[in-house]
Amino acid sequence: MNKQSPSDTDAAFSSRAVLGNATLRWLGIGTAAFITAYFLLLFPLLPAPWRTAGSPELYLTGVAGACLLLVAMVFSAIKRGGGGDLAPKFYVAHVLCAYAGTILVAVHGAGNLGRPPAMMYLAILGLVLLGMYARLHVSRRMERTFAEKHASYAVTMSEPKRERLRELIQKKKTLLAELDPKANEGTFSLQPKHWRACPLRSLRYAKLVREEQEVMGTRRMVPFAQAYWWMAHRALAHLFVLGIVIHVITVTFFAGYVADYDFSKITWWHIAKW
Amino acid sequence: MNETSDKRLALMIDLERCIGCKSCEAACKSEHGLGPGEYRNRVTWLGDPDGGAFDFLTVTCQHCERPACLRACPVNPKAIEKDPETGVVRVIESRCTGCGECVVACPYGAMGFDAVDHHSVKCDLCHDRRQNDQKPACATVCPGSAISFGERTEHVAYAERENRTIRDHDHFLLEPATIYLDALPRENRINDLRPVDKANARRPKFMDNPAAQATLREKKAEYPYRTSRAEREVDSVRPGGCNICFNCCSTNFHFKGDKLVRVTGNEEDPLLKGKVCPKSQMTVQMYNNDERLMHPLKRVGARGEGKFERISWDQALDEIAEKLKSVRDEVGSEALAMFIGTRTGIITKSGYVRMFAQMYGTPNVESTDAFCATSKAIAYQLTHGTIGAGNSYTETDLGAAELYVYIGDNQAETRPVYFGMINDWRIKNGAKMVAIDPRLTPTASKADRWFGIRPGTDMALALALAYSILERNLHDEAFCEEWIVGWEIWRDYILDNAYTPEWAAPITDISAEDIRWLAEQIATADGCVMFGSRGINQHTNSTQTNRVLMYVCAITGNWGRKGGTYLNMSAGPPVGPNVPESRMAPISRPKIRKSPSGWTEAMRSGSPYPIKAMIACNNPFSQWPDQNAIREAFESLELLVHIELFANATSAFADYVLPAAAGIEKGEIGRANDDRRIVWIDRMIDPPGDAKPDAWIWVELGKRLGFDDVLQEKYKDTALFWDEVCIKGNPHLQGITQKRLHSRPYRWVRFPVASEDAPEIETLYLEGTTAVGQPEGKRFATPSGKLEFYTEAIETKFNALGMSSLPEFYSEREQRIDLPYVELQHDDSEAGVPNPFHGNNTSGSMGRLVRAGNNTPGQQLRAKGFELELVTGRASAAHFHSWTHYFWQAQEMWPDMYCQLHPNRAAEIGVEDGQKVRVSTAHGSVEAVVWITNGIREHSVFLPIGWDERQPYHPWKSVNYLTDKMQREPMSDQTNLKMLLCKVEKIGS
Repeated sequence: MNKQSPSDTDAAFSSRAVLGNATLRWLGIGTAAFITAYFLLLFPLLPAPWRTAGSPELYLTGVAGACLLLVAMVFSAIKRGGGGDLAPKFYVAHVLCAYAGTILVAVHGAGNLGRPPAMMYLAILGLVLLGMYARLHVSRRMERTFAEKHASYAVTMSEPKRERLRELIQKKKTLLAELDPKANEGTFSLQPKHWRACPLRSLRYAKLVREEQEVMGTRRMVPFAQAYWWMAHRALAHLFVLGIVIHVITVTFFAGYVADYDFSKITWWHIAKW
Repeated sequence: MNETSDKRLALMIDLERCIGCKSCEAACKSEHGLGPGEYRNRVTWLGDPDGGAFDFLTVTCQHCERPACLRACPVNPKAIEKDPETGVVRVIESRCTGCGECVVACPYGAMGFDAVDHHSVKCDLCHDRRQNDQKPACATVCPGSAISFGERTEHVAYAERENRTIRDHDHFLLEPATIYLDALPRENRINDLRPVDKANARRPKFMDNPAAQATLREKKAEYPYRTSRAEREVDSVRPGGCNICFNCCSTNFHFKGDKLVRVTGNEEDPLLKGKVCPKSQMTVQMYNNDERLMHPLKRVGARGEGKFERISWDQALDEIAEKLKSVRDEVGSEALAMFIGTRTGIITKSGYVRMFAQMYGTPNVESTDAFCATSKAIAYQLTHGTIGAGNSYTETDLGAAELYVYIGDNQAETRPVYFGMINDWRIKNGAKMVAIDPRLTPTASKADRWFGIRPGTDMALALALAYSILERNLHDEAFCEEWIVGWEIWRDYILDNAYTPEWAAPITDISAEDIRWLAEQIATADGCVMFGSRGINQHTNSTQTNRVLMYVCAITGNWGRKGGTYLNMSAGPPVGPNVPESRMAPISRPKIRKSPSGWTEAMRSGSPYPIKAMIACNNPFSQWPDQNAIREAFESLELLVHIELFANATSAFADYVLPAAAGIEKGEIGRANDDRRIVWIDRMIDPPGDAKPDAWIWVELGKRLGFDDVLQEKYKDTALFWDEVCIKGNPHLQGITQKRLHSRPYRWVRFPVASEDAPEIETLYLEGTTAVGQPEGKRFATPSGKLEFYTEAIETKFNALGMSSLPEFYSEREQRIDLPYVELQHDDSEAGVPNPFHGNNTSGSMGRLVRAGNNTPGQQLRAKGFELELVTGRASAAHFHSWTHYFWQAQEMWPDMYCQLHPNRAAEIGVEDGQKVRVSTAHGSVEAVVWITNGIREHSVFLPIGWDERQPYHPWKSVNYLTDKMQREPMSDQTNLKMLLCKVEKIGS
């Protein structure tokens, strides 16, 4: 999967992990086929623990699935936290783990679609479908964006817009002098270390960045799906992580509630007294 | 506060020089191995669609001081870096995760994306090349010299020095480094379509049609595209030339081992300096192409069905030779016709095939000249005794003119490198440029004034120009008296017939005032170069229109001087070896017609005598006029052999398809070109599969017919054939030996040169010089040694065809207004009369001028709803006839057959840009997609040539379903391809 890029320059700049469209497509199809076949053909033949949500077997399967799905968080942390050189590798890992995690989480659920945790299936489905849509479809759209923003080359200009941008840039510079004195506004963007060190200033800076983007209007220059797929993907991922946290807290600390107070059903590890 | 130093690097793109040829795109993809859809630069249209314009802007990374792309990148450390020293912003692909935020963030649309490997791509000003002290690839090839590379401060200084306006497009305060120099302001431009504010820029919709673009991705882009840099690392470079078009650029061929990696311009060429158009670069896609014919094929299905079996060369050639013998024995040797397109190259066409035909005994051999250029050849021959102008593309010759007039010549798209040179000289010297064309072509877009002339009426304009010059005594009396035979007879004829500007105005749609203005400009300029081309030649009045334009140049002294001439496109080198007299087979019947479309009755009905066999080395099923008639005729052939590079519409009808070679696969000279340059192209690689060079095929076929004493085995080597056969004893060429050609790092020599050490001649026919091959003191190669417009001999020739050599105006039979036209008196099935313009062994038809009256063909057609003016012609700089349609990148640039339509007509028909229409004439119909543009006469419709229905990416029916083979000129036999009445209808909803 490590591939020498055709388009770039020296080797250091060009070797990166790649997950091709065909592989992605087959992974998606394969995952869907496996889950379908599992529940239609295999599931009725399995021993009871493998068909009972909360059984130790399925509990561990769920833990493993969640861990795999949370590789995406690791990917995000590495990408933003200074591990940029590893980012494409972790990108590939997050996709592969997401598919594997999806299968394990599906197995973990044992076909129980009527209970609240099933909402997480929707999040997983949304994440996987959006990811595939982005790679297989939005990528083409991104490709076609080249040389499409014609109006930006026009001579006619909006002076008020420039004036507003000038103000925003000045504000950013002033704030940046406090946030990261060595940084240059023209090439600066917020990193986790800034959020950790100066969360409020970072928040103010992020607001200015968003305002600048709004005035520039670049997101409006491209189709909706292209402009917002990544935000939607990240939002869904956050929701999913939140769902996992809630699920873990619930099954761990509120096992009785989860088992409808039928304590004989509680076969998973939990904390009853707290 | 700027972070970057003063050494900020940037491209400077001059919109006055950019002709939109997309050579920069080709160079970029070639340099970076980009596949379909991936861009680091792209040419877009610039201008107000409501105002109509044909200006261009190359989109590429702006290398901003505050790069929005970089700031949007979520990766840490960033996957986009900015060099603090040079300011160059580049993607570090090994870090990119393909989120596309940079693509969204860049307001200039200058971030590319690789949708296969999912990462951003962008211009890095050719980082690798810069490490080797080379300029970015786009800046080396640009035919218009529109792209220059260097330090930004130097670009700014240049702009200030040249008083050029730098476009202010920093709407986002990103401080872009890339500089765009605005086009120069125009004054007094007729039909002023240049946009005022240039607020809009767009490409025609059909270019971006996702379905058309998706077609390209269904096939894998052949090597070297989408391979790593290591896989295409060049280890040797050999000089040669491009064999595609009439610009004949010197090129370098770059190899990795024996694999061709790349074609670039040859920067050692002192004339072209490495400039090439996209076609030259895309020939890599011809040499490495899965669609190439690889093996001889024999038809096993019905004609047109496309069913073939693979056979050996021996079987193919043995069977063809046997069939040719039987045709010769049973019907006569004249029953073999050969159509040898310019694809085959001059050495094949004018060497091997000519000699083969002489020994076989058929006069029915023709090339594409009969459709493109015969009329101008006749006009040149009559006027100054040889074909082609005698000037050169040098700063001191064509570069020294004060006025350039393009009439029916879209040079910017047909010979982009030559046009780039002219345009550069125009800008540097402050010369004027005028374009006369029904369309606002890229050529016209650079002109000071554009006149949207009614198609087919250039002769009326030329006559009125002559009238205006003569009436006001603006002509060069001394030159006329001393150097022009018959000039007074023409003067009197023009004045007596009152070919005034007022007379011409309603015919041409150009006002009398403007005609007078142009006449004065031509007469008073210290050097006027008038360019003509297919827009003049492809009409039934073409010989006379050429002659009248020549007359205008001659009487103003613009002949036989530097910076002044009439230049009707290319002039082929006079290659024409003959076999020994004893080996000439007797020919008892004359050539049926000069134009191959005049051969169809002989195929179909056997009249005036039968043609039973045809060897075609081109694509008659796209190229010949009147496709319905052509296909019916070809059905009747007993033998059709097709020698080609790619299977096309003609192949499907052939009995045998023989795979041929091209350019560096065979060794040849480049095409005829404007500048008399003979460019030698060495054989450097083997053809694919079992494909063979044309020389090999003709020598082997000749061997089977007993011609091997003349077409000897050793002449399979074209270099040897050139030295020993083509140039030997030829006073124009004998100095252009292989030794001399190979002594030049750019492999060309300008003819004529009589000996190996004779100097090249920059300008022919200067006063005091002697024309090549003529007795001392004879300035021109005519019987009188002067320019000849009216002599008894000339008049006799015209009279033999029922015409007069005096310039009596006529136009086309199909017009929106009633104008006189010519009618052929003999059907193609009739023997006709000897045509004296083609050596008396060619039959032709008498002509008759028909004055406008009642119930004319035009009136009848208009009554049936055929009310628009159909003009056909070359597509763009990226295409040349059929073969570029097999190059994926040419198809990416210009995918579908389009129909240029004026907005008013589009509104009337109810079509929008990019929708499909049916275009019909009285002769047939085709479909195309609409390109709505103000840059065309309101009632004109333009359709390009080159597409056929069997092409791999975007098949469309040839435009020649719309043309009429019987609308031909008596003298040249050229067909009217540029003025037919048509109608356009919307297809579907």
